[in-house]
Amino acid sequence: MTYFTKTYDEAFINENSVRTNYKKFISWYKNQDNDELTKINSDAMKFFENTGVSFKVYSNDKKENLIPFDIIPRIINSKEWDKLVKGITQRVLAINFFLTDIYGQQEIIKHGVIPVDLIQNNTAFLKQMIGFTPPNKTYNHISGIDLIKTNSDNFYVLEDNVRVPSGASYMIENRDTMIKLFPELISKYKVSENRNYAKYLSEILKKSSPKTSKINPNIVLLTPGIYNSAFFEHAFLADKLGVELVEGKDLRVINKYLNMKTINGWKRVDVIYRRIDDIFLDPLSFKEDSFLGVPGLMEVYRNKNVTIANAPGTGISDDKSIYSYIPDIIKFYLGQKPILKNVKTFKCRIKDELKYVLDNLNKLVVKEVHGSGGHGMLVGPLASKTEISKFKNKIKKNPYSYIAQPTLSLSTCPIYTKKGLTPRHVDLRCFALLAQEKVTVIGGGLTRVALKKGSLVVNSSQGGGTKDTWILSS
Amino acid sequence: MLGSTADSLFWMFRYIERVENTLCMIESGFQLYLLSSSNLNNEWDAILRTNSIRHHFLKKNNSLDSLNIINFMLKDPKNFNNILILFEKARENARRSRVSITSEVWEAINTCWLYLNEELNKKINESKIQTIIKNTREKIALIFGFLERSMLKNEILNFCYLGTFIERFDNTVRILNTRYYLLLDEKKIRFEGYDNFQLEMILRSISSYRSFMWKNQNEIKANKVSYFLISDKDMPKSLMFCVNETIKNLRSIHKKNFPKNKSYQNALSIQKKIKQKSRNFNNYSFLNSLFKLNMTLAANIEEEFNFQ
Repeated sequence: MTYFTKTYDEAFINENSVRTNYKKFISWYKNQDNDELTKINSDAMKFFENTGVSFKVYSNDKKENLIPFDIIPRIINSKEWDKLVKGITQRVLAINFFLTDIYGQQEIIKHGVIPVDLIQNNTAFLKQMIGFTPPNKTYNHISGIDLIKTNSDNFYVLEDNVRVPSGASYMIENRDTMIKLFPELISKYKVSENRNYAKYLSEILKKSSPKTSKINPNIVLLTPGIYNSAFFEHAFLADKLGVELVEGKDLRVINKYLNMKTINGWKRVDVIYRRIDDIFLDPLSFKEDSFLGVPGLMEVYRNKNVTIANAPGTGISDDKSIYSYIPDIIKFYLGQKPILKNVKTFKCRIKDELKYVLDNLNKLVVKEVHGSGGHGMLVGPLASKTEISKFKNKIKKNPYSYIAQPTLSLSTCPIYTKKGLTPRHVDLRCFALLAQEKVTVIGGGLTRVALKKGSLVVNSSQGGGTKDTWILSS
Repeated sequence: MLGSTADSLFWMFRYIERVENTLCMIESGFQLYLLSSSNLNNEWDAILRTNSIRHHFLKKNNSLDSLNIINFMLKDPKNFNNILILFEKARENARRSRVSITSEVWEAINTCWLYLNEELNKKINESKIQTIIKNTREKIALIFGFLERSMLKNEILNFCYLGTFIERFDNTVRILNTRYYLLLDEKKIRFEGYDNFQLEMILRSISSYRSFMWKNQNEIKANKVSYFLISDKDMPKSLMFCVNETIKNLRSIHKKNFPKNKSYQNALSIQKKIKQKSRNFNNYSFLNSLFKLNMTLAANIEEEFNFQ
């Protein structure tokens, strides 16, 4: 076997030496028949295809794509994981305090921790939310925190996704698949459970119900519909939660309450787990021509007759320019030292930093402040001179919209190929659920892997795949 | 249950049933083709008319060539009721109501869709037609098997069955409508080319030839065929059977309120009409009124249960 990687590899120190986390696994692997594994690998894709696990990449055709799944698990030990849980809990709580403050008294601005223009000029800051506290004072019920590893000691936070983070269904399906494919392997390890995600999600959604509702609140999952790229996940989660999967057209505001159209007439809705963006929620408050939302929903919300999870306006806390202030936000609200590190971020809105960015584009990764899915970014070291100069103009035109980060040496993990194991770059999305100031971090998360050799882009819309993530119990 | 979910369940099974019915017709036509029957053209003509696609087919083709017709019915994009499109719609509705059906039912639908996409997007040669029809019908049987065995016996299932039986009624009444003259009382009418073979083909087009012969001591007669297709309450494709199932499912959804509802009343009136005519039914206007009543019944259901 030749296994060579320039950056930190989570499984191998070198070709002949395996790290502790992977020792048991690699010795199992070496005893497997390669033809058998190749067959299992293709069975895995067949399994996903038959169950309809799909991800639609936006294009003109109706084709549904499968996210490639790799059968080699990513293994994290309990010590590393415990630190992650503490760090994620801290961030999620701090973000909720920040949102409460930024739509309320704005103490953080008054204290000069965050510049006012960063909020004022930000399209993710919703004036409709000013002076309003959501039911149970919770904004970010569901967070998807993206992490990367660059050496043996540290995970860095790359992004805090608190708008409509997706991926939990793949985390669960990946585990189901691994259990089907390698039942004997999983039983050898004490791997922490992650398929309880829906149970916890259901609990926090129930807890978030507005006071006016009954003991058993009526929860719905609001989807943009079957043509949305993440529709599979919406249906999957609604199914696991045991709630109705609704579209905007199923809902209507009647007498200050939100109702859904059932076969027996209208029925009151107490909690919306929404999977559509803020601007589509209510054509009377946001985008006028949106058919995805419900006219008048925001008024019902502001009267606290319905809970929207996550709350509208949470985006102000996870854009890439606010990101660089998260350590300050943690210190300001919790009085604690941040447990997880941020990646060094240059803010193009600041003159000196802009100059540094423009001078060093070939070394940096530049991202749009509101971008996602790996789109609208420049990976300096891989870009051509023309691409760089084009991007330079874009940044100059609108520096507020860009941040830059050094190219990170993302860790690698082994993936399976016919020729044996080979290293690929990975990141990790962890899911955290918040209700009544209590955070639950789901054991493990979704490991995304860049399947192309050398590639750092792990996004599923750009050829990334996923792996099962094992947290070993201590 | 959401009105829109009821809508998806209802239509999912209308489309699945339509696929099954269309496959039966293709199969009966294909059998005649293999036998080089002299009735072949008549048969295809009737099949195309039953499906309301004769006009579309002849726009593109000058003659009733068997393989062209089969291709047209299976996958030609110019035919809006081709098997691929129909099944695609069934699956789309299954996705919409994914939360209401079990994963067994969903996977059965999804695998059938994957199969059709793979097979029908290749060139279809003569030797494969029977295999495709047989495999697809087996996969559809699997859907119904899982529907029966894995789903809760509640209103979700009722809407699946309502779609199935409204569609099946529609199919049987269309077949009868297209060939009503074959079923007229033999004493009243004689015309050229009339023979039992055409009656046999009616039965074959709904895959019920064997069960008819078994029930009728191998004797095929027009009045018996029409009784079998219209009034026989044991025959799963007969109009009586379909409307009885519809009534049963409507009762189950409405619980105690059923006497008041339009759909229920309408279903009862269809049942009554068939009963009254049970020995003397063979005319076009009778069949046509049943066809229309069934359409109204479907519209009543959509309205009463807040479909969208």
